[in-house]
Amino acid sequence: MERKKLDIGLYGFTGCNGDQLVIIHSEDKLLDFFASANIRSFSLAKSDNEQTPLDIAFIEGSISSQEQVEHVQEIRQRSALLVAIGNCACYGGIQAMELGREGWDRRFQSVYGENFFEVRTPIESKPIDAFVAVDFRLPGCPIDADQFFAVYSSLIRKTKPQMPDYPVCAECRWRENECLLLKGQLCLGPLIAGGCKAVCPSHNLPCVGCFGPVEEANVSSEFALLKEKGFTVEEIRRRLRIHSGSGVLKSLKNLFGEV
Amino acid sequence: MRAVKLKKSHLKGFLTCVGGWGELWGPVKRNGRHVLESIGDIKDIDLTALRTTLPFKKLLFPPKFSMFRYDANGFQDTLSAIPKRVIFGLHACDIKALCILDEFFAKEYKDPYYYERRNRTAIIGHSCIPDDKCFCNATDNETVTEGFDLFLSDLGDFYLVWVGSSLGDDMVRECPKLIDTNVGHEDLKKYIQFQKHRSEQFKRQIDLTGMPDIVELSMDSPVWEEEGEKCLSCGACTIVCPTCPCYNVNDENDLGKPSGERMRQWDSCMFREYSLVAGGHNFREARAERLKLRFTHKLQSFVGKFGKPACTGCGRCIDTCPVGIDIFTMVKKLQGEEVRS
Repeated sequence: MERKKLDIGLYGFTGCNGDQLVIIHSEDKLLDFFASANIRSFSLAKSDNEQTPLDIAFIEGSISSQEQVEHVQEIRQRSALLVAIGNCACYGGIQAMELGREGWDRRFQSVYGENFFEVRTPIESKPIDAFVAVDFRLPGCPIDADQFFAVYSSLIRKTKPQMPDYPVCAECRWRENECLLLKGQLCLGPLIAGGCKAVCPSHNLPCVGCFGPVEEANVSSEFALLKEKGFTVEEIRRRLRIHSGSGVLKSLKNLFGEV
Repeated sequence: MRAVKLKKSHLKGFLTCVGGWGELWGPVKRNGRHVLESIGDIKDIDLTALRTTLPFKKLLFPPKFSMFRYDANGFQDTLSAIPKRVIFGLHACDIKALCILDEFFAKEYKDPYYYERRNRTAIIGHSCIPDDKCFCNATDNETVTEGFDLFLSDLGDFYLVWVGSSLGDDMVRECPKLIDTNVGHEDLKKYIQFQKHRSEQFKRQIDLTGMPDIVELSMDSPVWEEEGEKCLSCGACTIVCPTCPCYNVNDENDLGKPSGERMRQWDSCMFREYSLVAGGHNFREARAERLKLRFTHKLQSFVGKFGKPACTGCGRCIDTCPVGIDIFTMVKKLQGEEVRS
């Protein structure tokens, strides 16, 4: 039985477009991808984009202007499912590393001065779920192509996608790497969602957390462990905040009373 | 079981000879770690390997593998593609782990994916000297009497080779020029001396006697909560454990086509979704509950069903857990000893 093809849209907000690029760079999948659904909109890949009702909208990038707020709300209104892809859309990305702290106006001014913005009304950059409901998150900086296509493939069949419920460490052990934490390095592996295939630790680089926190990250235990290894709370927190944006605010608040 | 002798200088020739039975695998050193790998050059085998990073189970049910491909017309299984392998260099604990995995996968319910791999795998064990993390003396795994085809004990300039199966016997008979069948009283003395020397090398002392009862009486112990607070739920302990058999099954669909692959992937009782059921209820929401499951399984339930703990004393969990939650420290804590993990 042929299923009716779904209507799909891909959109990019504030970010490097790296997640859409991962899809475009999957040359061996592109023909199947474009044949699998009606790709109504794909801002990085084509120019004849239609703004129609959608079965699924994939959104990358964070929201950093009033105009983007309205746009993302408009997309949400005409989409049955909305999937945030990439770290910026899921947790705010590196532009959200100060999220939850006072003084955005001051930080903004120290970069842009008193300039007047004609076409945009800038706001503090936040992830998609700060403005509209998000049905699924597919994190990563950038996303992992295999994971994207597996999730995409499940969604267009209307089945629930399988997302890792385990941290990077599990994938790192599967690959038989040496544990960088045991070697005394500041590795965030235990806190960060798997899905990247432990790519950094496999090259002897500690995890910097670009997939954002795993659902039940034991933040206090990781802090205790790293403190024991000689790192300061500030070092650990800074490393964690690079990519985990909105994802760790609650844990940090619980632990330290501030983010 | 019979025993023969193999001169060390003949080892390479012997492995070349048995390599004809299947693809030769053994421990090699990669980035400072010992791992089991397919052997291209026999010189690469590192016999100083004690515990490989992932245990031998990775070859009998790989971390992730395809069970079958499916499409609208049916399915094609992957069993016929399983290669014949000769695994060299497994230690007594590895082979005991295999016997434990057999209880899950090859006895009452035969799992074809495990069973086929098992049947196409020949095992040539190798003796070892324990390090500071080994405690196989406490799990009755110092020597093996089953589960291998050949087992080599290093007695200086030669190996005493125990023949454990008819396949092992064939292997020995196929290389008559390399094998010395004349095993005498002097060799026996050397073997006993070796075993004595080996058992004196253990640095860890632990007694697992009565653990099922201790675990039963410790259900309300604060130990579970204390360790649960520390546990990172990373699953590393279960991944490196040679006796952990849990897996998950998931379909990977071909993009936009009515076909795909059914995959089997290692699961872990430390993961959130392990005890999550339809309707959203999680039987083991708390980490402490998950730890309790893992350790009661290893030290109590398995003993009740099979008469031995599902722990071989290999020391991998001691080597691996970043926050020091392992069988050794948990047993000590449940026994009421103060230990720093």
